[in-house]
Amino acid sequence: MKNSVSNLRRAWLPLAGLAIVCVLALAALLAPMLPLGSPTDISKDLALRGPSVAEPFGRDDLGRSLLSRVVHAYRVSLGVAMTSALLAVLVGGPLGIVAGYSEGLPDQLIMRPLDVLMAFPAVLLAIALMSVFGTGAMLVSIALAVVYTPVMARVARAAVLATKIEVYVDGARALGAGVPRLVMAHILPNAATPMLVQASVLMAIGILIEAALSFLGVGVRPPTPSLGLMLADGRGFMVQAPWMVVFPGLAVMLAVLGFNMLADGLRDWLDPQRATGR
Amino acid sequence: MYAARRLILAVPLLLGMSILVFGLMRLVPGDPAVVVLGYKATPEGVRALREAFHLDEPLPEQYMRWLAGLVRGDFGLDFRQNEPIGRMILDRLPVTLELTLLATVGAALIGIPLGLLGGARRRGFADRATLAIGLVGVSIPDFWLGIMLMLGLSLGAGLLPSGGFVPVGESLLENLQHLVLPALTLALSRAAVLGRLSRAAVLDVAQRGFVQFARAKGLAEPAVLFRHVLPNAAIPILTVLGLQVGYMLGGAIVVEMIFTLPGVGRMTLDAVLERNYPVVQSTVLVIGAMFMLVNLATDILYGVVDPRVRNR
Repeated sequence: MKNSVSNLRRAWLPLAGLAIVCVLALAALLAPMLPLGSPTDISKDLALRGPSVAEPFGRDDLGRSLLSRVVHAYRVSLGVAMTSALLAVLVGGPLGIVAGYSEGLPDQLIMRPLDVLMAFPAVLLAIALMSVFGTGAMLVSIALAVVYTPVMARVARAAVLATKIEVYVDGARALGAGVPRLVMAHILPNAATPMLVQASVLMAIGILIEAALSFLGVGVRPPTPSLGLMLADGRGFMVQAPWMVVFPGLAVMLAVLGFNMLADGLRDWLDPQRATGR
Repeated sequence: MYAARRLILAVPLLLGMSILVFGLMRLVPGDPAVVVLGYKATPEGVRALREAFHLDEPLPEQYMRWLAGLVRGDFGLDFRQNEPIGRMILDRLPVTLELTLLATVGAALIGIPLGLLGGARRRGFADRATLAIGLVGVSIPDFWLGIMLMLGLSLGAGLLPSGGFVPVGESLLENLQHLVLPALTLALSRAAVLGRLSRAAVLDVAQRGFVQFARAKGLAEPAVLFRHVLPNAAIPILTVLGLQVGYMLGGAIVVEMIFTLPGVGRMTLDAVLERNYPVVQSTVLVIGAMFMLVNLATDILYGVVDPRVRNR
């Protein structure tokens, strides 16, 4: 009884995170249908208008509605974050499971090259990849997936290593279960938890890195509304029109915060042993 | 022995990193010579450039030539100014290192006390504050934080310069004035992580048997904290700090760009935007190698202070 009450009290943080993520995702998905006005219509008369009731985030140097641009930019932000995390799960997960299950030579052959990828700072590797790939949202997703794959492989591998020595896995093996069944029915469900937690952490980082790359000019290409690009544009006007840098930045922070809260909560909830006590 | 083993393992990793960077830059679509010369490309110019940079050789030969140069500290020439890249990196490295060092000190001074306060009084006000700051802190994009600090403290209040750099040799005071905001930008987001993990380390130690025993024998709470909890929590905290130093090397790229600091990070970014691939190749490897070595040093130190780690 006492436990369930404290569980409920503890659950508000991940639920709040989930709520933020859902609202933002929904807004991004429905952006063209929301009564926001165009994110791309230019109007010289309205240039650099400050925030007002009708236009709460103000307008940029070309008179475009910043609120509308922020909501549309979430399409890119969240799209890139989710695509890259999903790709990392689909590629890194199987690699880590094979490495962890087989150990020995296959483990070395898979993990040592991935170590090389992990030896670089994430932002640096992403910039280096983008310098080769060129710009664009899909390419940013792929670059981030490359950066994340070793992380996901390590998480999956560690989970498999810890699970495959459990008694119930031995039991299933003794009952005659083959390797595919052992992995699918007994090992994978246990590896899925840490991978899910890691995926939501990676989505948080993905939003940050996509914004950084676009800000630096090696991410999303200009006509697409992107939070990083908006910040880059706003820098030139930040004294006359601080709202041009304030709101896109807050928008990045809110999305990242949502995914971080979700990740924290998932970790505590799915993995009570590692919960750090809140 | 443990340290030696770890150092030897770093050699194949460094080789792998050099192969990755070299291979990546060869994946660039099109002829790099044409890309570099741009609209000025003439058949003769392209041929001359290809010859000067050995672009006609087979890839393994080009790689070996580059590697042989690296071992001697020769990074080759850059495509544009024909300057030695090694010299360019050496000129800019002190800026990045000073920035990282100041940011590390800042992150430690802010983050560790925050974590200790939070961990010592679990569920108290300080604890909740630490958790909240930790969560918000890791969610703030560091480049945006930099812009906001610049907007508030230099453009708004006029307290500090908003960009540029003065070498230590010219004026220590002005040098520090130019580095305060960039270092603070890097330090704040890392301090949030450090605070969060320091708190977890303190909490972890606080529930161990020897701490409970110290309490049971009647030791006063401050004595328990300073004599038993903190010395044992120090090891994981220092490890986390070491990992943050590595992270800051990556963050420095963005921060140097915002505050127009002439460091290696900005050099990398400029080279990426100019498609100066020999420079990108070298700076990415240099920053990557520093990142790897900082993490390695952290690992080794961890093993030195905590013998249990060595047998993992």
